Amino acid sequence: MTRHSLSLLLRNEPGALARIVVLFSSRGVDVESLSLAPAERGDLSRLDVVVDLQPGRTVVQLIKQLGRIVDVKSVVDRTHDEALELGA
Amino acid sequence: MDTTGAGALIKALEDVGCEVIFGMPGGAILPAYDPLYDSKIRHVLVRHEQGAGHAAQGYAQATGRVGVCMATSGPGATNLVTPLADAYMDSVPIVAITGQVNRSVIGTDAFQEADIRSITLPITKHSYQVHDPADIPRVIAEAFQLAASGRPGPVLVDLPKDVLATATTYTPVKPAAQPRPVLSPVQIRNAAQLIGSSKRPVFYVGGGVIRSGAAPELRKLAEKTGIPVVTTLMARGAFPDSHPLHLGMPGMHGTVPAVAALQRADLLIALGTRFDDRVTGLLPEFAPHAAVIHADIDPAEISKNRKADVGIVGDCRDVMAALSAVITRKTDLAGWWNYLGGLLATYPLGYDWPTDGALAPQYVIERISKLTGPEAIYTAGVGQHQMWAAQFVKYERPGSFINSGGAGTMGFAVPAAMGAQAGAPDRTVWAIDGDGCFQMTNQELATCAAEGIPIKVAIINNGNLGMVRQWQTLFYEGRYSNTRLGTHQRHPDFVKLADALGCVGLRCESQSEVDGTILEAMAVRDRPVVVDFVVGQDAQVWPMVAAGTGNDEIMAARGIRPLFDEEE
Ligand SMILES: Cc1ncc(C[n+]2csc(CCOP(=O)(O)OP(=O)(O)O)c2C)c(N)n1
Ligand SMILES: [Mg+2]
Repeated sequence: MTRHSLSLLLRNEPGALARIVVLFSSRGVDVESLSLAPAERGDLSRLDVVVDLQPGRTVVQLIKQLGRIVDVKSVVDRTHDEALELGA
Repeated sequence: MDTTGAGALIKALEDVGCEVIFGMPGGAILPAYDPLYDSKIRHVLVRHEQGAGHAAQGYAQATGRVGVCMATSGPGATNLVTPLADAYMDSVPIVAITGQVNRSVIGTDAFQEADIRSITLPITKHSYQVHDPADIPRVIAEAFQLAASGRPGPVLVDLPKDVLATATTYTPVKPAAQPRPVLSPVQIRNAAQLIGSSKRPVFYVGGGVIRSGAAPELRKLAEKTGIPVVTTLMARGAFPDSHPLHLGMPGMHGTVPAVAALQRADLLIALGTRFDDRVTGLLPEFAPHAAVIHADIDPAEISKNRKADVGIVGDCRDVMAALSAVITRKTDLAGWWNYLGGLLATYPLGYDWPTDGALAPQYVIERISKLTGPEAIYTAGVGQHQMWAAQFVKYERPGSFINSGGAGTMGFAVPAAMGAQAGAPDRTVWAIDGDGCFQMTNQELATCAAEGIPIKVAIINNGNLGMVRQWQTLFYEGRYSNTRLGTHQRHPDFVKLADALGCVGLRCESQSEVDGTILEAMAVRDRPVVVDFVVGQDAQVWPMVAAGTGNDEIMAARGIRPLFDEEE
């Protein structure tokens, strides 16, 4: 398992969060923590999520799969930023 | 224009160019059926919503346009789940329109309420539930565009009944055109370089080439380079079967030359294909010596199953045009063709006749292809007959073979043929179906008869769930648990059933009758025809790569492993 911290911007559309969460469950991604908050732009929300990936699955793959969701505006991998913040 | 939500829906569908809807009315969707009554859009009243969904898929694949199906809330909507899953797996552009209970009672377990959006989340490209009738024109325009653009797929539009009934004004919408991805010139150059220096390259062509309309570009590029081509189950017809550069279909039931080409290649040029396990076999043993160029419109497919050395995100048509522009000369592939030519000569597709005098199913399919020709459209169910339809029909043009590849949905053939025939009324449409599959969706023949959709169905009646029986023969010591259908004992009698459904029913049981029966079926133009081809129960699909083994273990026939025993 490898742990990754992702930050997504999504449109405030009904079902947007559900689609992301279903993607995690159907692709076997473990969710460690998840938080949703309004983004600066009123029609967007920011989703911060920490996930564990199964061996053989890459975070690049997951980011591309999240990017296919119509209501997802952007996905960034913050794993390294967090490691820095923690002084690791 | 003053109208209702329902009026706006039908107007919006007319404006996006929808010409036919496959569906069934019911309480929640009923308001939409009223303006539909006056519309120039044709509505085909199906007998089961699954049939509506597969018909939309068949229509989409025969015409290259977006297919539309419509159902009421609750059970009507859940009956669309299988076709949505199927369209998602095979990237077929369809829009499903479902009724929903009134806004005020959503979430209260109201009569015929099902949360169809949530149910279909993992099997739709996108979905909408409309709460304001003024949004309907935009949502329909977006839904059509999303279904057809990028990697095509199914889109669901869920419409609460009161939204359909509410007054609104119709304002036409034109969604902004979706730009095609811009190719990376660096990746194109890298790809061209790899192609130029390879000694054993192969074009590994998938269904994306058909979806992008890139068959002419493929032919040009293949002829320019002299590189061999293999076409997956979803790509049959993307490259002419009669072309000398074509090695056939790769995969579990692929030809020996096609599988060998992938296994011995030093370069795979993978186009609009997703390295499905039915093609790769055991992944670590797949194409072990090959570098990989992978072009796909969906970035998430690149390096998903097999790492690409050069990944190109783009429409296959653009990718091949760009490659054609930079590749100037044929590479010397004499040694490679020498090897492949040997395999082509030694291992052509073939079959044995049953020893008990029964009819060979492969022969039936071969004769249908021969007598009908490549301008027809062929659909298939799932099982042995599907593989034989992929192997023994000779395809020459894209869109001429429509089948359920990714999902493997039994019952696909008849409704898909109905949709294809509705979209292409001037073509002959043959559904090559199994005796098991046929019993899942044959009620749509009543639809075809009532609507004047004269499809032809060839039931390859082997009396069994033949594909499952084949596995029981090979892997379960011939313990035939629950695979006998009783169809050889006339449970049901397909000729009588055809007659009851308003079709012409024919039966054929011997080799000498095959051509005559096919010609008789071809002569019927005013009604659907069903032919019960009673064939032997023990015919098997060969070649075969057993599930969970590597492609090198491909068996040309039981026990014969040409690549495994090969001396390199
Ligand atoms: C809806 C569905 N149920 C079950 C299966 C599993 N399955 C795959 S092939 C097959 C047998 C199909 O029998 P038939 O239509 O007679 O085709 P044959 O293999 O005999 O040509 C079955 C049961 C499936 N693919 N789809
Ligand atoms: Mg059968």
